[in-house]
Amino acid sequence: MKEKHETEKAPPSQQSLVKSFLIALPMMALTLIIMSGGRIPSEPLNLLTLAVTYLFFNIMFFLMIHAGKTDRYRATVFITYSFLFVVSFITHMFEARGSMSLSQEKIILCEVPFCHLVIPMTLIPAAFTKTIIFPGSIIGGYASIASMFVIWIGASLSMGRGWCSWGCFFGGLDDAFSRIRKKPFIKNIDRRWTYMPWAILLAVVLTAAAFLSPTYCSWLCPFKAVTEFEAVTSFKILVQTIIFISLFIALVIVLPILTKRRIQCALFCPFGAMQGMTNKINAFEIRIDSDKCKNCKLCVRECPTLSMTEESLKEGRPLMSCMKCGTCVDACPRNAITFNIRGTPVSGSGNLKRLLFLYTAFLFLAIFSSHMIQDGLSRIIKLITTGSMI
Amino acid sequence: MNSLKKISGYAWAIVCFSIVPVMFIGNHYFSARLVSATGVTVSPWYSGGEVIRTVNHGTYKTIIHRPVFDGLIGKREDGFIQVEWMPVTALPRVIEDKIDFNGDGKEDFTFRLDTAAGTGTLTAHSSSVIGMIRLVKVKDGWVTRIQLQNIP
Amino acid sequence: MAMQGFLLGLSSGAVCSAYCAPVLIPYFLGEKKNVVQNFMALLQFLTGRLLGYLAIGFLAWGIDKSILQSISCREFIMGSAYIILSGLLIFYSFSKSSKTCPPANETGMFQKVRASWPFLFLLIMGLATAVNLCPPFLLAVAIAMGEGTLFQSALFLFMFFLGTSVFMIPVTFVGMLRRFSSLHIIGKMTAGLIGVYYFYSGTIMVIGSIWKT
Repeated sequence: MKEKHETEKAPPSQQSLVKSFLIALPMMALTLIIMSGGRIPSEPLNLLTLAVTYLFFNIMFFLMIHAGKTDRYRATVFITYSFLFVVSFITHMFEARGSMSLSQEKIILCEVPFCHLVIPMTLIPAAFTKTIIFPGSIIGGYASIASMFVIWIGASLSMGRGWCSWGCFFGGLDDAFSRIRKKPFIKNIDRRWTYMPWAILLAVVLTAAAFLSPTYCSWLCPFKAVTEFEAVTSFKILVQTIIFISLFIALVIVLPILTKRRIQCALFCPFGAMQGMTNKINAFEIRIDSDKCKNCKLCVRECPTLSMTEESLKEGRPLMSCMKCGTCVDACPRNAITFNIRGTPVSGSGNLKRLLFLYTAFLFLAIFSSHMIQDGLSRIIKLITTGSMI
Repeated sequence: MNSLKKISGYAWAIVCFSIVPVMFIGNHYFSARLVSATGVTVSPWYSGGEVIRTVNHGTYKTIIHRPVFDGLIGKREDGFIQVEWMPVTALPRVIEDKIDFNGDGKEDFTFRLDTAAGTGTLTAHSSSVIGMIRLVKVKDGWVTRIQLQNIP
Repeated sequence: MAMQGFLLGLSSGAVCSAYCAPVLIPYFLGEKKNVVQNFMALLQFLTGRLLGYLAIGFLAWGIDKSILQSISCREFIMGSAYIILSGLLIFYSFSKSSKTCPPANETGMFQKVRASWPFLFLLIMGLATAVNLCPPFLLAVAIAMGEGTLFQSALFLFMFFLGTSVFMIPVTFVGMLRRFSSLHIIGKMTAGLIGVYYFYSGTIMVIGSIWKT
């Protein structure tokens, strides 16, 4: 008996060249207006980086529409963004103070840039004391507390945990390392590890409230290795430094390479755990059409965040931890997994719903990352042309 | 009912999309509104607390902040007080200040600051004063935090 | 005078519950018990706290009144308590939560103690958290020591304890979340993480106090 070969069907969201261009046109207009701020820069380097960044974003978006695939183009932008953010941030630190280490002066003057990872720890103290337990500036300056809160609230409402795949400037790092190997070296990960981000969230929220100190930032954040950290002036800071460097190497580099999963984002980040709850208030969701699904479990194997399980397949949706990266949507050979809008039937108008989500998420990514990408690019160009990034 | 859910869903999705450009364009405005609506400030554990007294010495001034013992609810068993020395025209080479932070007329500690060497010496006159946490050069001036214990 | 102790406890009880929450909440989540069972467990924990309060009070009353004023002594006591607490939390995070009956042929003292360890565990946790020498507690001890008799001092401390304990009751309502089975694992993991944090804090305090003396 001959076996019927199941050929991969072309995604229904694939569009012709002309149609793709027309669909991408509003994005081109929006990104041009917002990225340029209504002014074309006169300085050649700034003009070059703006043009390159603009073209990069819009080519990727066009390809996303034309090919009908999401993840590979999203990841290209997302990973580029993370690496250029690191380049931009570190060179800024060297330019401003000659090193990556945070001086006591900056802490005393409350000029430390505020990062979204602090947010969960600030909520209970803010509710009780109306103060933010972080040495940053409330308003004004670079990465002020209020501006990050506004961005977080906006991202939560518009994308839910899609922030982790379309917004977070750290997420691209472990996303990149998780794609290096063709096959995972460590295949089976105990599902109980998926509870670790929640445990860390609870621990840091309780200890931050009890001791009025952002304990995750002080003790656990691995991304201090690529941004800024307190200068080692005491035994306690030395211990903290050893911890964050070890966590960065293990969770962001080594384990993602070995498992082909986004280990830091999926199994450690407490902000991500909290952000999972915002998936409930967001219009967009990933859904599985049970009529089309043949239970091959390819999506379970491919999901980089362990958000697809056999139980969730039966329910027709991924777990709360879904970061809306689109990997499962692209991987499904039966096109059973789609981007959906809450309240609408799973089948029908799939392409329109996907486009609505892509417009939301990609626009957020483009606007949020454009300055960092442009600055990172200009630093690299300066390095090539002058031998120095500063 | 299904049609209503469908329309609501699409409307909600369009709102989600609209939030993105509005949020970025109006970030300054929304930030200012958020701060004024909530009244939040930076925790005194980081900002040093409110200034309670400024002593003018002619060429420089001594800025004394309130003692910080703030807990989540109530007061904690230990805290600190922040004292700053800022130039009006210039800081002298050696500053020696006697500080009374609780306003009882008795000096709680004396701080001797050598601005050239960047060192400070604390002499406690009260049992609530434990020691110097740090001394930091800040722009043109100096800031110190003195550890205190909350004696009832 | 006893009422004064109760009112002093009420005024500082919120602080006590903020410090006890990182210990109690992970434990209650990990145990997967209902509100009433959590309340019974809380009573065991509070028994330990009461014993801790009375022990510290009698230590100061009977041995040396200035012992609690010495910073290095306070740091040593608190640091040691943190280390004990950390050990309990880390042990709890790796242990099985369900009480198992000892097999018929194992009826020795050790097995009986192990079967009843949840009670001892909570008691020792309560003792360790009681040794948080915050200003209201120090004030309570100072006032209690000024009482005429040992009985009056103990009564004052007991009323102070009652005042602080009122604020712990809301923590038992975590039991309403027990239908979320994943919280059981999350609670245990959190207990382990907080245990590690307390171990470091306690070790630094103990070393610091020895260094100062």
